[in-house]
Amino acid sequence: MYGWIWRHLPGNVWVKLLVSVVLVLAVVYVLFQYVFPWAEPLLPFNDVTVDNQ
Amino acid sequence: MAATADENEETEESTAAPGPEPAGRRRRPGRIAQAVSVFGELLITVGLLLGLFVVYSLWWTNVLADRKADKQAEKVREHWARSTDTGPGALDTKDGIGFLHVPAMKNGSVLVEKGTSTDVLNNGVAGYYTDPVEAVLPMTGKKGNFALAAHRDGHGAKFHNIDKLRKGDPIVFETRDEWYVYKVASILPETSKYDVGVVDAVPKESGWKKPGHYITLTTCTPVYTSRYRYIVWGELVRVQKVDSKRTPPAELR
Repeated sequence: MYGWIWRHLPGNVWVKLLVSVVLVLAVVYVLFQYVFPWAEPLLPFNDVTVDNQ
Repeated sequence: MAATADENEETEESTAAPGPEPAGRRRRPGRIAQAVSVFGELLITVGLLLGLFVVYSLWWTNVLADRKADKQAEKVREHWARSTDTGPGALDTKDGIGFLHVPAMKNGSVLVEKGTSTDVLNNGVAGYYTDPVEAVLPMTGKKGNFALAAHRDGHGAKFHNIDKLRKGDPIVFETRDEWYVYKVASILPETSKYDVGVVDAVPKESGWKKPGHYITLTTCTPVYTSRYRYIVWGELVRVQKVDSKRTPPAELR
């Protein structure tokens, strides 16, 4: 999977490395900005109140 | 990490390819081997995702929440500074009603806002209960329970050190005009999340029998989970007027 992505990146090793770093950062950004905030309330880690539900 | 590993693999492959040996077997792994390798990479990906989620919930949410809470606190302070007259503004609940200082928790001042929904608490503040029991605010002067909730971990983690509180420790609530000094009276280190009685006007488990000026802090326990709730009860000892320099009461010095 990762090997396939690496082979399909353009340019020489350094360009590939740069593109991969950018890709990784983009993935982390999307996760922190959209995916995790969406997933967090669905997980039972952060309820602090007492309630009837 | 993955990138460098792949890089090595590829250079190895490309040097092996032009060789006269029958390198075909190495270049084209069998279907099963391919499937296993994809599966392995998926597992690594899942591991990285979970690791990132931990970083997100224990660090990044704190950064965001503290930033928001600081901004909001500044707004409230500004608000107070502008309206020095004692008017109905003293009970303005829109931006936040005051600040909670708990020296034993070593977390500075915590802004207190209305409500205990995640929308409120995720901003790095403590919220006072409106449901299932409406908290009685100390400014009203009425007897009742000033029940608060805040996060134990992530989103500012304002009550992270709640377990450091001991009987007799001060809990000070600061409003525009007054310091309300409470002393911890009793602690319930573990209770069910359905135990709504802890925020009652006279909580049964606290040992109090008569209504009084009480404060209740609730958060989740043990740390990093929300299996149970941790409860701290305090009773009002005295009320001190805020002076022109906002000198903190002796308990905070």
